[in-house]
Amino acid sequence: MSAQTTTTADVHGHVDTDHIHGHEHHHEPTWLETYVFSTDHKTIAKQFLITGMFWGIVGGLLSVLFRLQLGWPNDTFPFLESLLGKWAEGGKISNEFYLAMVTMHGTILVFFVLTGGLSGTFANLLIPYQIGARDMASGFINMLSYWFFFAASVVLFISFFLQTGPASGGWTAYPPLNGLRDIAINKGSGLGFDMWALAMTFFIVSSLLGGLNYVATILNLRTKGMSMMKLPLTIWAFMFTAILGILSFPALLAGVALLEFDRLLGTSFYLNMIVVNGHLLDYRGGSPILFQHLFWFLGHPEVYIIILPAMGIVSEVLSVHSRKPIFGYRAMVVSIMAIVVISFLVWAHHMFVTGLNPNLAAVFVLFTLLIAVPSAIKVFNWIGTIWKGSVRLSVPMMFAIGFVSMFISGGLTGLMLGNSPIDIQLHDTYFVVAHFHIVMGVAAFFGMFAGVYHWFPRFYGRFMNDTLGYIHFYVTLIGGYAIFFPMHFMTGLPRRYYTFANFETFNNFNFLTQFISIAAIVVFIAQLIFVVNFFYSIFNGRKVDVERTEDGHTYGNPWEGTTLEWTAPIERIHGNWAGEIPSVYRWPYDYSVNDKPYISQNTPLAPGEVEHT
Amino acid sequence: MLAFVTFALIVLFFTVLVLIGKTNELSEDIAGKGMNYDAKSKWNGYLLLGFVIAFFISIVYQVKLLAPIMIPKSASYHGEKTDNLFYVTLFFMTIVFILTQFALFYFAYRYNQSKNKKAYFYSHNNQLEVIWTVIPAIVLAVLVVMGMRVWFGIFNVEGRDKNPLVVEVTAKQFQWMARYPGADGKFGHRILDTAHITPTNELGIDWTDPNSHDDFWSDKLVFIKDKPVLVKLGALDVIHSFYLPHFRVKMDCVPGIPTQFYFTPKYTTEEMRDYLKTLPWWNTINPETGEPRWKTFKYELACTEICGRSHYGMQKEVVVVKDQAEYDEWMKKQTPIYVAPKSESASVDTAAAPATAATDSTGKDAAKTGKPVAALVKK
Repeated sequence: MSAQTTTTADVHGHVDTDHIHGHEHHHEPTWLETYVFSTDHKTIAKQFLITGMFWGIVGGLLSVLFRLQLGWPNDTFPFLESLLGKWAEGGKISNEFYLAMVTMHGTILVFFVLTGGLSGTFANLLIPYQIGARDMASGFINMLSYWFFFAASVVLFISFFLQTGPASGGWTAYPPLNGLRDIAINKGSGLGFDMWALAMTFFIVSSLLGGLNYVATILNLRTKGMSMMKLPLTIWAFMFTAILGILSFPALLAGVALLEFDRLLGTSFYLNMIVVNGHLLDYRGGSPILFQHLFWFLGHPEVYIIILPAMGIVSEVLSVHSRKPIFGYRAMVVSIMAIVVISFLVWAHHMFVTGLNPNLAAVFVLFTLLIAVPSAIKVFNWIGTIWKGSVRLSVPMMFAIGFVSMFISGGLTGLMLGNSPIDIQLHDTYFVVAHFHIVMGVAAFFGMFAGVYHWFPRFYGRFMNDTLGYIHFYVTLIGGYAIFFPMHFMTGLPRRYYTFANFETFNNFNFLTQFISIAAIVVFIAQLIFVVNFFYSIFNGRKVDVERTEDGHTYGNPWEGTTLEWTAPIERIHGNWAGEIPSVYRWPYDYSVNDKPYISQNTPLAPGEVEHT
Repeated sequence: MLAFVTFALIVLFFTVLVLIGKTNELSEDIAGKGMNYDAKSKWNGYLLLGFVIAFFISIVYQVKLLAPIMIPKSASYHGEKTDNLFYVTLFFMTIVFILTQFALFYFAYRYNQSKNKKAYFYSHNNQLEVIWTVIPAIVLAVLVVMGMRVWFGIFNVEGRDKNPLVVEVTAKQFQWMARYPGADGKFGHRILDTAHITPTNELGIDWTDPNSHDDFWSDKLVFIKDKPVLVKLGALDVIHSFYLPHFRVKMDCVPGIPTQFYFTPKYTTEEMRDYLKTLPWWNTINPETGEPRWKTFKYELACTEICGRSHYGMQKEVVVVKDQAEYDEWMKKQTPIYVAPKSESASVDTAAAPATAATDSTGKDAAKTGKPVAALVKK
């Protein structure tokens, strides 16, 4: 399939092979095809984004609710009973529902927001635009990818309303807690967990369909002249994210399938010699640790699936707004590759204290600390990019800077957790909570926000409001640190505890947990400012300065970027470019060169100009 | 009504914010500098610089405020080494943290477009890349080597005392069952089949084995100062994790897979209290007990693997006695399971949080456990 004539099939199987000449007499899509069952990558990107925002609010709200319990373990909040009913009798969240909220918070944010919402949105929006393609390799598969994500969302959301509640055995779903279908052991291990497993299955299908499409599109549909080394770093990041997902998600699918066999069919993949109430159950020969291997074989690459797209977005945003090429483009590409390869060899660092063979642990320590090298290279290159730039401190740039700050703060503590002897004490404590929330929670959100503010004009032809954006940024930056930085000092306090009141050792931090809870509420409200800003700006944001050309389309390049998405008409058209797809002649980072503020990728080399390599 | 007022206030709050935002935008447009980020870059540059300075100051303040409250120094020998490694890593981290964070925010301030109109086209420098690849790699290699020396020291089976104090700890929802081998130092065998595992004998102890006759349950874990301990771990129903925060000990208890942890306590409970007495924060009065904090200090055992609703309640006290004599004296007072089995559950359940005693179901769980009665024991 050539880059010039892409093949897309709409929902009716109607094949439109030639967009270039097909525009005038194109089948007019219905409302349903345009906005609901759309095969257009731009619409699908919006669908992922808005679904992700919905889940972001739900997941954030859950954390606010359980922070109420953690901050004020001895108080009651009557409104909770109105909201949660029997789960908060007397205005106090029950210990069972507390675990359910923690579990769902993790599942929602890791998978539904920071994988679906982040990768789904920006890979869909940017891959065709930045490589110069009319759409994804398969618009239909792309549409399926979203609708499987939607199905997963529906199933997961319904599980909140089950009588026994949603899954409550941790987002990691370890058996036997989640492997025995016995609500006496854990209420959420009843139907709630089955629905969790079903939702995850749909989610994985969605992720695989999306990922295959991204890789196929990037490898096959690049426009003329767009060699791999001329790709913006966003595209490199999306491609390797997709590859990671394709190779690792099936392991989780297999793991969850076997878990359901144990639960529903009575097999013993993960169960052995279980004694409940003094009765030895009939499971023989399985290993609960096997599930952990399968889970973390996805679970660790998953954190890179989350952070790599954010890294790609941030690399792009830092460069555009510094008016300077990204520092060390090749080093950035190589470090992404290194991260992807090594990320498959570190999973057991989540399992140092499971009774893993200590010799095996040594291998995982080595690779875990090794992965810090490419991460460090990236950080140095980002800082190098800002150095001597002409930095435009716009809202997306602020979030990109915030991303780097968070990534440094959270990444460094990984050196402690990754070193197995230190991990003995830190494992499953608040130190871990601080580490991963900063490095892949808050940081990934910063990357996502940088992307949304930066490409909002590409989505809607308008800007998001700057004032609200800056407020959002500062509250989130300061608040994010206020929530998670002090948690480092709660080293040794176990996570997922409903209250610390039973322990002399852990019961000294009450003032701090309250402070953290207040900060969490403030940060949550700041995210609502973002949501309001987003929807308000769709209709009332400042318009992008545009130029109308003779082809009847309007063009604008609000941030003065070099990449191809800004060479396409600002208004949404089917097939992205009105005429021919532009050809590419230069790398994507020609900023402040040859006495020009920027030179677009589709500008031919000037006579005598040497191509940047 | 209250709900309505709250809702109205929230709507008002966001409306006001949006109006402020829109007003700013319109006034910029009127002034003709809509997309001119000079002014915004200027004051955001100052704010970012201010942020990083405030951030550093706040960290100093946090250390001052929170470090004294943290779990105190290690009470085991290997824990001192892991703590030491923590501090070595912290040292390198702090250097990198300060340099990179400061550079990041300072450059954002120093080179913002109001101060620096023209960016310097500088796309790469391979020498720099090599430097900042090699230096981290060396530091990390040092950390890995140091880490592995400590790690293999902890798990070095050959170098261990041949005659440690052995304790068997079995976890179940939501309690720890601690079995001591009694005066003979030998545990009675366990036979893991449905004939032996019963509600009154959940471990499947073989009562025909004479070694089992002096085994006893203990309501707390008792260790001896400077005497190595081998904790043999297991779980009945779901995964739990055996965690002694003061001793830097953590190991999962996995149903069907035995695990263990070997370590040596360094300070008795009394010695630890004496040490804490010298620290100011530990001399403050605990409002709940009315005593100085060091006085009620105790070692504790906790669960660190999510195991169900009362995960947070799996507490057990740990005591380190000064010598074998004190240990023997304590042991003499214990009643073997074989003679007069007290329920292992009597030792445990503290899950009911003060405010939630009524709704917490843990009490029920404990009552259900049943008591092993000597008469039922198979001979």
